[in-house]
Amino acid sequence: MENWNKCIFLTAALCGAGSGQAFGEPPEQPRQVVHPDIERREIPRIAIDTENFELGPYAGIISIQDFNSEVVYGLRGAWHVTEDFFFEANYGVSEADLTSYEKLSGGVPLFSDDERDYSYYNLSLGWNILPGEIFVFDKYAFKSDFYFIGGAGNTRFLGDNWFTVTLGAGYRLLLNDSVTWRLDIRDHIYDREAFGARETTNNIEWSTGLTFFF
Amino acid sequence: MADRVPGNENNRWRAELLKPLFALLIAMLASTATHAQGTGQATADQQRMRSTVVDAYLEMRTAPGRGYPVFYVAERGERLVLLKQKTDWVKVRNQRGIEGWVHVDEIARTVDELGDVLAFRSPDLDSFSNRRWEAGIMLGGFGDTDAVSGYGGFHFTRNLSLELELTENFGDFSDGRMATLNIVHQMFPHWRYSPFLTIGGGVRETNPRSTLVSTSDRTDNTASVGAGLRVYLSRRLLLRLQYRNYVVMTNRDDDEEVDEWKIGISAFF
Repeated sequence: MENWNKCIFLTAALCGAGSGQAFGEPPEQPRQVVHPDIERREIPRIAIDTENFELGPYAGIISIQDFNSEVVYGLRGAWHVTEDFFFEANYGVSEADLTSYEKLSGGVPLFSDDERDYSYYNLSLGWNILPGEIFVFDKYAFKSDFYFIGGAGNTRFLGDNWFTVTLGAGYRLLLNDSVTWRLDIRDHIYDREAFGARETTNNIEWSTGLTFFF
Repeated sequence: MADRVPGNENNRWRAELLKPLFALLIAMLASTATHAQGTGQATADQQRMRSTVVDAYLEMRTAPGRGYPVFYVAERGERLVLLKQKTDWVKVRNQRGIEGWVHVDEIARTVDELGDVLAFRSPDLDSFSNRRWEAGIMLGGFGDTDAVSGYGGFHFTRNLSLELELTENFGDFSDGRMATLNIVHQMFPHWRYSPFLTIGGGVRETNPRSTLVSTSDRTDNTASVGAGLRVYLSRRLLLRLQYRNYVVMTNRDDDEEVDEWKIGISAFF
């Protein structure tokens, strides 16, 4: 009962309060003082030159197990993912000579010339474990990296493809931001059964080259 | 004479195809030439991104790496030109011509002419779940043989991606190369350990070992299904584990079924 009374009383009060406006002029819309004239700016992808890729030729010497040490030429490309890690791909070619046995026996060669063509590729992960700086006189400072690198790939030799694990270390000296001088030692390890029995071979390669960051 | 007619048509068709290619090439050369004319330090700097230091200070290092010494500290209000970026480091030049390397996280706290914060950020778990491109190398076993592969993928959505994978495998009796195109679906892109399912098809070339006689190279189509796991490591790196079951559709009576296990490391951007 009390609630009803309250209700009626409140309704009457509201009608009384609202009547002034209800019978007066129509309510004005609040005037907009400031018009939003903001152009939404798309944040553009930063237009800045990134130099995370490295590409360059190299030359060196590879010691092919059971054969001679031979000149090797190659091309390498790297993608620097962070300041510590990089992915690298290498492709190199060389050509083996006679084996020691072939030379000493003076007999018929065991392999044809085509089979003596040596080529390899590998996909590797490098770790710049010792970044540094090299000082020349008191004026110049060059950035350098000593890195470990390991990967896997293929060696094509003696007419077949061999699964090859590559392990090594290298040194990169940045002559400026874009040009580097590199020095690499890699061991190409693969199981070969060209002489009948399966044997693990170690083929150590020493190489040097220039690379360009872009 | 009659034989030559289709040949001519073929040539004409080729010429039609080459025309737009040449046009495109010339346009590209022209644009690079005009670009080259416009270079010069001053003009180049105008085109470059500028920013102003709003933090109390900004550290400039001698080389792009966290271990290199800080040789200059830029003050609040100093204006910088952003020259280039290497991994997570940006080379800047101030108004006095001092050049140094600044980490992207610090650049992200500078502002451009309009006072907006620059859209730099160092990669984290969030960028991992929103990545567009992914590439990596993998090692493992294809059946009883050793396998190595490289792949690249594009993410259409956070869940779906298309990947091209090149694999080479080396066995006792044969080795082979395989190119496959795969659709990869990850159910939970925002998880650090993100599982995925994959389905795809491709071509496989098998070369028997040269020591085996009376066998020849063969090329077969393949289809595969698989599953795997991506694990976000840090920065731009992720670990990838995957299993696939391949059906190699040979010309022989039976198709070959091969299991493949692989582990790899990838980067995204």
